[in-house]
Order: sequence, then C-alpha cells, then structure tokens
Amino acid sequence: MRHGRLLIAVLLCAGLVISPSVWAASDVINIGFPIPLTGDNPDVGASSKNAAEMYLKKFPTVKVGAKTYKLNFIYEDNEFKAESAVKALTKLITEEEVLAVVGPQASAQAVPAGEIANNNATPMISPWSTNPNTTLNRPYVFRGCFLDPFQGPVAANFVTEELGAKKAAVLYDIASDYPKGLAEFFKQAFEKIHGPGSVVAFESFTTGDKDFSAQMANIVASGADVLFTPQYYSEVPLIVRAAKENGFNKPIMGSDSWGSGDLMGLCGDDCKGFYFSTHYAAAGARGATKAFIDEYTAAFGKTPDDVAALTWDSLGIMIQAIQNTGGLSGDLKADRTKVKDALASIKDYPGITGKMTFTPEGDPIKCAVVVKINEQGQFAFHKSVCP
Amino acid sequence: MSLNFFMQNLINALQWGSFYALIALGYSMVYSILMLFNFAHGDIFMVGAYIGLGVSLVLLKVVGTGAAALVPGWVVLVATILISMFLTAFVGIIVERVGYRPLRDAPRASAAITGLMIGIILETSNILFLGGQRLAFPQLIESRTYNIGGIFITNKKIMIVVVSIGLMLALHQFVTRSRWGMAMRAMAYDFVVVPLVGVPLNTIAVMTFAIGSALAAAAGILFGLSYPVLDPYMGVSFGWKAFVAAILGGRGSIMGACIAGFMLGFIEIMTVPGIQIINRLFALNIGSNLRDLIAYSIVLAILIFRPHGLFGEPYSAKLRL
Amino acid sequence: MTGTDQATVTRGLPAAVGRLLAGVPLLGWLLGFLAAVLVERTIGDTLAQTLGLPKMPVLFGILTVSKVIAEIINAVVKNTAFDPALLVHIPAALVYLSVVYLLPIAAVARLGARAANRAAAIMDRWNLTIPAAVHIGLMYLTLHIWAAMSDYRLITLKITLIAVLLTLSLNIINGYMGEFSCSHPGFMAVGAYMSSLFTVGLFVDDKVLGKALMPWALDFLTFPLALIFGGICASVAALLVAIPSFKTRGDYLAIISLAFLFIIKSLFENLQGLGGARGIAGQPDWAALPVIFVVVGLGIWSINNFVTSTYGKALNAVRDDELAAEAMTVNTRQAKMTAFLVGAFWAGIAGGLLAHVVRYINPAMFGIQKLAEVLAMVYFGGLNSVYGSIVGAVSISLLGEALRPLEILKWIIIPLMLILVMIYRPTGLVAFRDFDLREAMKPKTEPGQRK
Repeated sequence: MRHGRLLIAVLLCAGLVISPSVWAASDVINIGFPIPLTGDNPDVGASSKNAAEMYLKKFPTVKVGAKTYKLNFIYEDNEFKAESAVKALTKLITEEEVLAVVGPQASAQAVPAGEIANNNATPMISPWSTNPNTTLNRPYVFRGCFLDPFQGPVAANFVTEELGAKKAAVLYDIASDYPKGLAEFFKQAFEKIHGPGSVVAFESFTTGDKDFSAQMANIVASGADVLFTPQYYSEVPLIVRAAKENGFNKPIMGSDSWGSGDLMGLCGDDCKGFYFSTHYAAAGARGATKAFIDEYTAAFGKTPDDVAALTWDSLGIMIQAIQNTGGLSGDLKADRTKVKDALASIKDYPGITGKMTFTPEGDPIKCAVVVKINEQGQFAFHKSVCP
Repeated sequence: MSLNFFMQNLINALQWGSFYALIALGYSMVYSILMLFNFAHGDIFMVGAYIGLGVSLVLLKVVGTGAAALVPGWVVLVATILISMFLTAFVGIIVERVGYRPLRDAPRASAAITGLMIGIILETSNILFLGGQRLAFPQLIESRTYNIGGIFITNKKIMIVVVSIGLMLALHQFVTRSRWGMAMRAMAYDFVVVPLVGVPLNTIAVMTFAIGSALAAAAGILFGLSYPVLDPYMGVSFGWKAFVAAILGGRGSIMGACIAGFMLGFIEIMTVPGIQIINRLFALNIGSNLRDLIAYSIVLAILIFRPHGLFGEPYSAKLRL
Repeated sequence: MTGTDQATVTRGLPAAVGRLLAGVPLLGWLLGFLAAVLVERTIGDTLAQTLGLPKMPVLFGILTVSKVIAEIINAVVKNTAFDPALLVHIPAALVYLSVVYLLPIAAVARLGARAANRAAAIMDRWNLTIPAAVHIGLMYLTLHIWAAMSDYRLITLKITLIAVLLTLSLNIINGYMGEFSCSHPGFMAVGAYMSSLFTVGLFVDDKVLGKALMPWALDFLTFPLALIFGGICASVAALLVAIPSFKTRGDYLAIISLAFLFIIKSLFENLQGLGGARGIAGQPDWAALPVIFVVVGLGIWSINNFVTSTYGKALNAVRDDELAAEAMTVNTRQAKMTAFLVGAFWAGIAGGLLAHVVRYINPAMFGIQKLAEVLAMVYFGGLNSVYGSIVGAVSISLLGEALRPLEILKWIIIPLMLILVMIYRPTGLVAFRDFDLREAMKPKTEPGQRK
C-alpha cells in the first residue's frame, strides 16, 4: 500500500512534467465571451454561445501574418447582472488573458463592462447593446448593432409612407433599456413628421408583465392607425394576442428584437401580416447570410435570432481586425492596442447583417431592412433603408 | 371615458385577478395552516404550467389534432388540467418533505429561506433540462372573441374566470364541510395543541401542500391558455404577488386571500385607465408605467389602515426564534 | 494499511492539528496570513508554473478545481473533448494551496504563537484603540497584498466587503429585531442613486445629469459626504416602512416592506431625470480598496456598538416579546425606528459604495434577485450575530465566484447548501454570537501550559 502511494505520487509528478497544456499556450488566441448563461435571460447567452461555437467549428484556426493560431473561446457567465458582468470581464481580462472580448449583450451589463475593458485597454465589441453610454468616450469599446436614433426613424418613416399612418400608438417596456430607448426615438421621429400629439398612446409596462390588456384598451380607445412595439420576441405573442382580444385590428410594427426563429413558434398565426425592421430578411437571403441561417438551423434546430446573427458578425469583424494587425507580438498589452486600432480602421466589413464600418465613437454604420411576416410565416424582404 | 372602456378593463381585471386569486389560495392555505411563507409556491405554479405543457402535448399526440382528433379540444383540456393537478400535487408533497418538514420547529424565517432556495432550484433545473428557451403552450380550445356592444370578451376569459371561481368554491366546501377540512381549520387555529388530540400534523401538512400545488397547476394551465409563452422565471413575480395577496387577505381566511387576489388584480389593471382619466381631467402627462408604484402604494395604504389585513384577526405574530 | 488504521489517521490528524494550533491568538493568525500572501507574492507565479498551472490560482485554488470539474461534466454530458492533462490541475491546485497558504499560516501561527501571545498580553493592558489599530492594520495589509496580485481578486474583494456591510445592516432588522424585512434592496437603491446624484451631478459631465456643477480638483475628498448623503436619504426613505411598523408586525410588515421595494424600483424606473431604466453611468472611480475597507470597518464597528448597547438589547426584547418589552419600559417605537434608520443608513452606504465600484447603476440591479441574495447571506451566516453576517456574506460571495465555471449548476449547488444549512442549523452557521473586539484579540492559553 505504501508503495502504491509512492507510485501515485511519482505518476502525478510525471504528469506535471509532461503536461502538454503548459507549454502549448503561446500559439493560441483567446477570445472572451462574457454572456448571460444563467439569470433572467439564459436564451440570450445560449444564442451567443451557439453562434460562437458554430464559428469555432467552421474556423478553428486563424492566420495572422505568417503564423497560424488556434482559436480558443472562453465563455464566462455574467448572470445578467451588472456586478457580475464587471467581475466576469475582469476575470477574462486578467485571469484568462484574452486578446479581445465579444460581449456582454444587454446594455445593463455592457455599460459597466465597457468601462473595465477600456480601463484595461482590451478591445471589446458588444453585439447587442444599444445604450449610447456603452461606447461613449471609450476608444476600446465597439458595438455590433445599429443604434436607436437610426432604427426609430426607420420605423416611423415606414409606417408613415407604406402604411399611411397618421396617428400611432407605442407599447414598450419602461424597465428595459432597449425598448425604452427605441420607443422614445420612434415617438420623436413620428411627431417630427406628423406634429406633436400624433403619437396618441404611449403606453408602457414593466419587465416580466404578461398582461397588456389595460394598456391595449387605452390604445384601442386612442384610435391609433398603427401600433409600434419594440419588444423582445418572447413578449410579442402576448402583445399581439392582447391586441386581438381587445379589438385592435390595425397593423403592428416591431423592431429587430422580433427577429427570432422562435417568434413564429410562439406566436403562430397571430403574427402573420405584421412588419418589423431588422438586419436581414431570412426568407430569400443570399450568400453568406443564407449560409449562416442554414448552418445555424441545421446545427441547433431553430433559425438564428438577432443575438446570434450580431454575435456572429461581431466575432467575425474582431477576427478580421486581428488578421489586419499583420502579426501579433506575443506581448498581450501591445497586441490588444493593435487589435483595437485595426478594428477602428476596418472599412465595409461584409457581415451577414450588412456592411459594417465604425464611426469614431465605435458604433457601426449599417443598413436596416424592413421585413413582412408573410402567410407562410417567413420573414420576407419588404424594403431596405440605409443611413 | 365611456362605460365600454371601463367595462373592458373590468373584464380584463377579472381574468388577471383570477390568476392571483388561484395562486394566492395555495399560498394562503400553507400560510394559514402551517404559518409558513411558501416562497417556492410561485415556482410550483411554473412547474405546474410546464407539466401541463408536457401532459397536453402527450395527449394531443395520442388523440390527434385538428379535424382528425378523436375527442374535442375541451376534453383534452379537462384531462390535462386533472392529470397535471394530480402530478403537481406530488411536486408540492416533495417540496414539503424536503424543504419544510425538517424545519417544522425552526424559525419561520429559515423555512422561508429554504422555500426561496427550492424555488431557485426549480427554476434552474428547468433551464438545465429544457434549455431556458420560451415554449409555446398548445391552444387546446379555439379562441373566439365576442363583441358585446364594443366590449371584447373571449371564450377563454369566461372559461378562466368560471373555472377559477369553481375551484375556489370547491375548496371552500372542502374546508368548511369535510372532516379533513375541519382538521385543517383546527390546525390553523393552533398547530401545537391540535396534534395532541390526535389530528395527524404531517398528513394535514402534506394535504395542504398537495391541494395548494394542485391549484397552482390549474392556474398554470389556465395561464398557459391565455398567455401562451412559458419561461422558467414566469413564477417569480406571481409568487411574490401572491404572497402579498395571501397576507393582505389575512391569516386564517382562505377566502380572504381569494378576494385579496382579485383585488390586487383589479388594482394593477385599473391603475392604467385610472391614470388616463386623471391625465384627461387635469391635463397631466403621467405615464401608465407608474402602475407598480401606484398599485403598491395602495397596498401600503390599506395595510396602514388595516394592519392585520382585510379579514385577518389581530394576533401577535412572533418569529419563533 | 488496514481500514481501522485509516480511520484513526483521519480522526487523529485534524484533532492533532487542532491541538497544535489551539493556543494561537488572533494576532498570530493575522501574521500567518500576512506571511502566506508574502510567500505567494514572491514565489506564487514560479510555483504555479512549476506545478503546471496556467496561471496563479486566484481564489485559493477552488476556482481551478471547479473549472476542471466543469470540464469533466461537459465531457460527460455534452461529449466535448476533454484533455486528461487537465486532471493534473486538481492536485496541483491543492499543492499550491498547501504550500502557499496552509503551511505558512500554520508554521507562522505555531512558531510565532508564544511571541504573539506575549504581544497580545502586553497590548491587552493598553487602551483598546492601539491593539485594534494594530490588528486592523495587519488585516488591511494582508488583504491589500492579496488583492494587488490580480484585478479580479481586487474587484471580488471589493464587492464582498460591500456585501458584508449590506448583510450586517439587514441583520439588524431581520436578526436582532426579528422582523422579516424585504425592503433592503430598496434602501440600497436609494443610497446608490443619491450618492451617484451627488458625485456625478456635481463633479462629472454626464448626459443624463448634465454638466458638472462644481468641478474641483480635490473633488474626491467629498466622497464620504456623498456616501453619508446617500445613507441619510435611505434612512429618510426607511420612514415609509418604519412608521407602519409601529402598529404592524411580522407577516404584514413583510409585505409592507415588499411593497416598498416594488414602489422604489418603479419610482427609479420612472424618474427620467435620473436616467430611468438606463440608469446612471460614469461614477468617478473613488471607491478604492482602502476607502471601502475603512467604510466597511466603520460600519461593522458602529453596528456592533449599536446592537450591544441598550438600544440593541431593546431590539432583542422587542423581538422576543413586544408586550413584555413595553411593560419593562422599553420604548418599542423608538427601538423599531432606530433599527430601521440605522439599518437603512448602512444599506444606503453599501449602495453608494457599490455604485462607485461597478460605476453604473440601474433600477434592475435592486430587484427581487438582490433581495434573495442578501436574505440568503443573512440566514446562511447566522441571525443576531456580527460574525454570522461576515461569514455569510464572505462565503456566499466567494462560493459564487469559485463555482463560476460550473455555470448553471452553480445555482443548484448554492441553494442546496443553503437548504442543508437551514435544516441542520436553522438559525444559520454562527448565530447569536456576540462580537467583542477585546475578547477576540486576547492572548490564548496554549495547551499544556498554565497561565
């Protein structure tokens, strides 16, 4: 027995010496993903992770300059909480020594995390955050989605020109960053066209609410021609149903957060015939976009949502930037700054969600598409709007 | 502001209130009889809804859907409700056995914490096994909207209100008329002395949890019918609000919890048109988002003027430390 | 080796270690920890490299171990590739833990026990401030060196310290006064918002709150003022719960406090002047580790003084029997009022600190989730006890970090642990223990040695 223990000890020591993971660290590029794997919105984390895993399977290595690096993705759970996001990102930057960061997704985590990334001079790109504070005065922080001041007017112009709306109603979640910002920009844009007071109902609710009947009764009573509701795809079925049940039979317009394959599964026939602005039209998509949609659907059994698509593009542009540096020195600090500079100077990156170029602030300039949910339940192309 | 508008909101409030009432009922039973805050109750509601989802999918597979169905949709619905109530009752019994019985003599607050933790475990297991995505609840009966003089009523709304009131009355009969009900009421009166005269405390506790959970399952399925998007955290806010309703109703008053549940639903829904009316009258611009603020200020005010709830009796509530 | 032999070893070893370390005073332990972090600072990196670890383990090696476990679980459940070389990390982390922490601590504590005891005995005769300053200084030095080795340690330590303060302030109401208050995240929110309003509004150019009102080079000196302002505002808000508590108790007070929480959250969501749902970002980076350490230390000291004073005893009396307390001339109203005001004040300060550590706040941070978290910390650690709050907050925070690689399983393991603690120790791990600084710093008699 005594010999047995000695043997184990010797084996362990031998394991330490020959352990290959110790020596093989230098030709790996680590990219961190601080995403919500637990907490209130685990499907956001799941979509981001799916997109990243798919990318890794497709492109396991990347050639920078003359050297080929293995890609290594590190997923860190931020629990959909601000404090945890700060801790998770710090861990990624200081402990896991990532070269660049893709995430966090929601603004409530991306705003405080952006500060950490910027202070540690690590390039970060938040695929999904629309809060202006995320990238404001932070040269190392970028984002992958278009901003409310662009998407709001797109929706307002669309309902005016195509649906002939003179009075609009808005229903949004006051306690959530994205719907609230977008609702306000829509209101601003719509009232600029039709004069003050043309948004006849500006109704709101709080995150987690399931019943919208009271707000809908107000909207019906206001006599609006169209309802704009920039809500997440999981809330849209309830809103649409509340509209039907309270006798609202006018068109409903949504935003890019509608664009998930799960929408039709949850909503059924109720959502057909409505419009939303988004990054691409899934039906009739071509080229890389189509390939992405098909591969994602094959791998995970559902069509990708906006989180997955934006994560894919953000990751793609980040890798592109790493390649554009023309070679990494191995000094993490210097490399991070090099990647940031390369990221800022990328022109017209051909993403699946459109061509991307960053403004000096780190926000992308890209086009939006308005799609109609057709009778087959597909998201069909209706119109394209560019800034 | 027309009468129509008011009636429409009233009907919406009735539907919304019946969910609160059904969930508060189960909450209040545990609370009245065992003096426990069953913080896992909201999540049992969630589990009930998911069990209902599973049961109905299995049933639909067996009997078929659409025109080829062997039996009409409402039969499937009734079967789903009954089977799920039965199954969820066992979830309640397990929760009692694991989380509450070992803590019978512990401070109440400790049991409240185990409840909270069991709730988290239920939510997490859901994400673990089902992946955290939202699931659609199958529409077992076809939705029909009736327009009665500008008021829109759906058949589901009527059904939900009728079924919930039916369940409440059934429970009321059980508690006031049956022997077990009498034992429960005795236990609510004093659960230290009553077991000494031969009433089995553990059996009553199990029964309380089983009935409460079964009611939560019924609420979960009705919820799935009218708001067909299920997510793992759907029970959280219901749980806390049922907690408010159960205690607002007053300890020892199961019907009080029902009424408080309906009232809470009414307050929440009616605040929105209320704000609109005030806006019109005084040319103000208050948003409907102040709903929670106003609704819970009303709750606060009620408790300041009726410190022992609506129907409760004054008693000295001590945490048994 | 036979089975019985094994048993005596496992039974005998901890007891022997316990005997060996019985006579070590607090001072000795602190010196041991200091030695350990110094050892880690000098040889940590080299040792980790020799042991084959990718980097110096951050949280005593637990994180490293749970990462390997997570990899194994992933390999089993999801069929991902598993590198068997990773298994070496577990013994490596344990070796690291023993070499860097356990051995130096034990050695210094043991070898220095006599000297430490003598020093403690000498200091025991002096005024309390000097030995307290020595101990706290040593403690800070240790934490500072420990945290300086990694930013991740630093942020974890900061947030843990804030959690200690928050937990302790809730323990006043839920433990010492025996109510079940759900309003604490609300108090915290008021403190966080008001102190942010103070600092961001006065000294920082911000989109939401406008230009800095009084830019000033030494503006960071006003940070205590900002925190106190936040604390006082939280106290004022606490009146909303404190006044109904005169007539209402127990369950009804619980839902009053819950209603308060909903109201506060809804209020901040709707106050567009304070950023609404988008919250306030860009708080100045003033909450450095020494600042937090001093504030939390002050908090623990003053709360401990409060609960051991006649006020605190009055709270216990109100908890055990309000009528009897009233009959014994305890002013119950005053007692409840002070408990709520003091509890809310320190919760507000904790909120202010958190706002300046995370440097961003929004109403969603102070919801039901936070409530569950802080309740768990209070009841896990122990009611009616300062030690308990420290133990509860530190262990839940550290567990939350250390089990991070397990992702979703973390939220099954932590609740299960809490349930087990509740079943076997219903009032928490270290409940009903008075915290007496002088007692804690006293010299210890070593076994086999007469005093």
